[in-house]
Amino acid sequence: MNALLRSRGARDALVALVVVFGVGSIAMLLAHVSPLVGFGALFDGALGTPEEVAETLVQAANVLFPALGIAVAFRAGLFNIGAEGQLILGGFAAGWIGAQLPLPAFAAVPLLLVAGALAGGAWGAIPGFLRARFGANEVIATLMLNVIAILLTTYLVNGPLQQGGAGASETAALPRSAYLPDPIALVGDPHLTLAYLGTPIVVGIVLALVLRWALLRTVFGYELRAAGDAPEAAKRAGIDLGRTALVAMALSGAIAGLGGATIVAGSLHRFNTGLSPGYGFIAIAVALVGNLDPLWIVVAAIAFGMLQSGGIAMQAEAGVPREVVSLVTGLVIIALAGRRVVARRRTT
Amino acid sequence: MRRRFGAVQAVDGVDLELFPGEIQALVGENGAGKSTLAAIAYGAVRPDEGTIEATGAVGLVHQHFKLIQRLRVWENVLLNREPKRGWTIDVAAAQARVRALGATYGLAVDPDAVVETLPVGIKQRVELLRELDREPAVLLLDEPTAALAPSEIASFFETVRGLAARGTAVLVVTHKLAEVIAYSQRVTVMRAGRVVGRHLTAETNAEAIAREMVGGEVPALAARAATTPAPLLALRDVAATAGISTLANASFDVRAGEIVGIAGIEGNGQSALADALAGVVPFTGEMRFAGEALDAADSPASRIARGIRVIPQDRRGEALVLDWNVRDNVALGRQRVLARAAYGSAALEVIERFDVRPPNPEAIVGMLSGGNQQKIVVGRALTSAPRLVVAYQPTRGIDIGAAALVQSRLIEARNAGAGVLLISFELDEIFACADRVLVIASGAFVGAFERSTIDRGRIGALMAGHQ
Repeated sequence: MNALLRSRGARDALVALVVVFGVGSIAMLLAHVSPLVGFGALFDGALGTPEEVAETLVQAANVLFPALGIAVAFRAGLFNIGAEGQLILGGFAAGWIGAQLPLPAFAAVPLLLVAGALAGGAWGAIPGFLRARFGANEVIATLMLNVIAILLTTYLVNGPLQQGGAGASETAALPRSAYLPDPIALVGDPHLTLAYLGTPIVVGIVLALVLRWALLRTVFGYELRAAGDAPEAAKRAGIDLGRTALVAMALSGAIAGLGGATIVAGSLHRFNTGLSPGYGFIAIAVALVGNLDPLWIVVAAIAFGMLQSGGIAMQAEAGVPREVVSLVTGLVIIALAGRRVVARRRTT
Repeated sequence: MRRRFGAVQAVDGVDLELFPGEIQALVGENGAGKSTLAAIAYGAVRPDEGTIEATGAVGLVHQHFKLIQRLRVWENVLLNREPKRGWTIDVAAAQARVRALGATYGLAVDPDAVVETLPVGIKQRVELLRELDREPAVLLLDEPTAALAPSEIASFFETVRGLAARGTAVLVVTHKLAEVIAYSQRVTVMRAGRVVGRHLTAETNAEAIAREMVGGEVPALAARAATTPAPLLALRDVAATAGISTLANASFDVRAGEIVGIAGIEGNGQSALADALAGVVPFTGEMRFAGEALDAADSPASRIARGIRVIPQDRRGEALVLDWNVRDNVALGRQRVLARAAYGSAALEVIERFDVRPPNPEAIVGMLSGGNQQKIVVGRALTSAPRLVVAYQPTRGIDIGAAALVQSRLIEARNAGAGVLLISFELDEIFACADRVLVIASGAFVGAFERSTIDRGRIGALMAGHQ
């Protein structure tokens, strides 16, 4: 089936492009904007200047982590819809702990990231445990835990942990020692290197490579994929499906939580309730567009980052209404993910 | 008729004629194209080339019943042809129609019964009634006796004879040559999409038909070596449930160096027995393997580690990861024991000893034929130093050559000192392989025979539940 899906890849991409540019152009014409100017602004805005490239990579990293986490769960046959909640909780843990403990940079940054991963991992382990122990449907559990994570963190930053007065919904700012190198601030820096340009995306790509190796080359990955691809055969081959579900969900949540921590340490420098405009949900589409393969997910995430940062330029420079920008983003996702679902249904 | 599926020419220039009142048998190995031909005749598959002429409706009874389990008999029989009264279904008229239909053909069924509560033989009647309601001029029966007891088979063919006597043309697609000889007037033999023989049944015999199906001599099974059986597996009062399969009471031994055959009709507790031995369903009673107790705490992993290899009935659903290649599938079950680098050589050993085609460890298993998939499942179990092999329908749906190879390897495993429990719905397979035969009916063991005392008629009666 996978071979078939890949052979359809080129046609998928072509169909997707036609749909995106076709429908996108119609929408722009209706909004009295020339499609040439609109799409020109999109590409220029995504890649035109070093700052814009940096913004693209930041946006890419923001969906890359939850998408990688989602891929781990999906490969194990678990539909983790809860990356949003896992990411928010990971960001909250990083923001809160980071503000409490003034530590030197070499300790602070890793501590924040570990805290985020642990919090996200714990949040992912809950539906994993419920599934393993009681057979509870992970889609419903993760969806509900999203709501709980959002409301819990909103309550905490508005109540017990409120900072800064004037009703701001955020934790205290991180000390500078806990900052990840900021790609955008570094653009004008004469000591700028490529690695600094996008610390989070570099971490994300390394993580993607490690995950791919773990999935394809280790016994852990073998058993995880067997549980996802043929659960009945896996069970009879001695693979403990419950344990696999628990571990996969915890790992999935940890990766999403790590993503939340990189947002806090990398750009927000504190936790606030606006941490994620739905990265955990967009990441589902990114993971599927990337065919649940960590390497292709990197490519999909970068494409998404271009859409995000280019979309701002489309709006600001070409005067394309925000709704049309969202429409184009949505179109890309529907065109790619939709084609994949169709291909999958055809082969099963 | 011609019909191609991908690279496979399933039906390659076949002519077939059916006359009113005849019972014709269509035989061939799996993949010979006989089911495709039946589906073309029924209209479910469109031929690439060729035409169909029929004097009336064509009915098809499927090998695996296509009934809606949760619905009642009349709802299934009259699906999409329900008698209406305005906007609603006229239930009374529907029930009367099904009763009348049953009376006409001697296929009495309670129209109000829910299908899932019915025994297999009755389900088949429902399936048949559904087709008969359309008064077909041509009736196609695809492996109609696969799930029936010997006595049910006889009464089923009495019904079919009655239909033929009324002028219906009947085509029986089957691989059971005994039924071909007993009940058909003509037989058409297919191999690799072509017709390779047409005979009047009275002028041929089962051996000649088998040679035509295979395209040569049927391979002989491996010789049975003398062994000294030693205690290996002991079950005492074991009861278990797996889905709709219930094992009420099993007490028997399997010794090292022998093949114990479990004879029974599908749906009499065999699945529960196999699953209880695999460790995937809970059970009560006592199970001992090599002197040690097996209990609920012994997961499939622990059983595999002790040398128990279960070959499940459903290779696609229970044994293989279809999206994966041969190499990774061969390792399944031993993924923690084998070094990663040894997966390839383990796969090559299975490919070599079991003649898997294509002989490529990278081939995706889902793309292989059923016979080659089964060779991988059996090969994986038999090349990993098994102490006990539980083979549940190990030759289901595979061709005669592949089946003979699988049976030979099971006998060789026995010769090498493994205990083999062979659970099969094919009596011929059990008689060919087993040292001892146990008969299972309604989840209980109702008879035991040594190889020297096998009594086919007696076993058939016990399988059907007669004492």
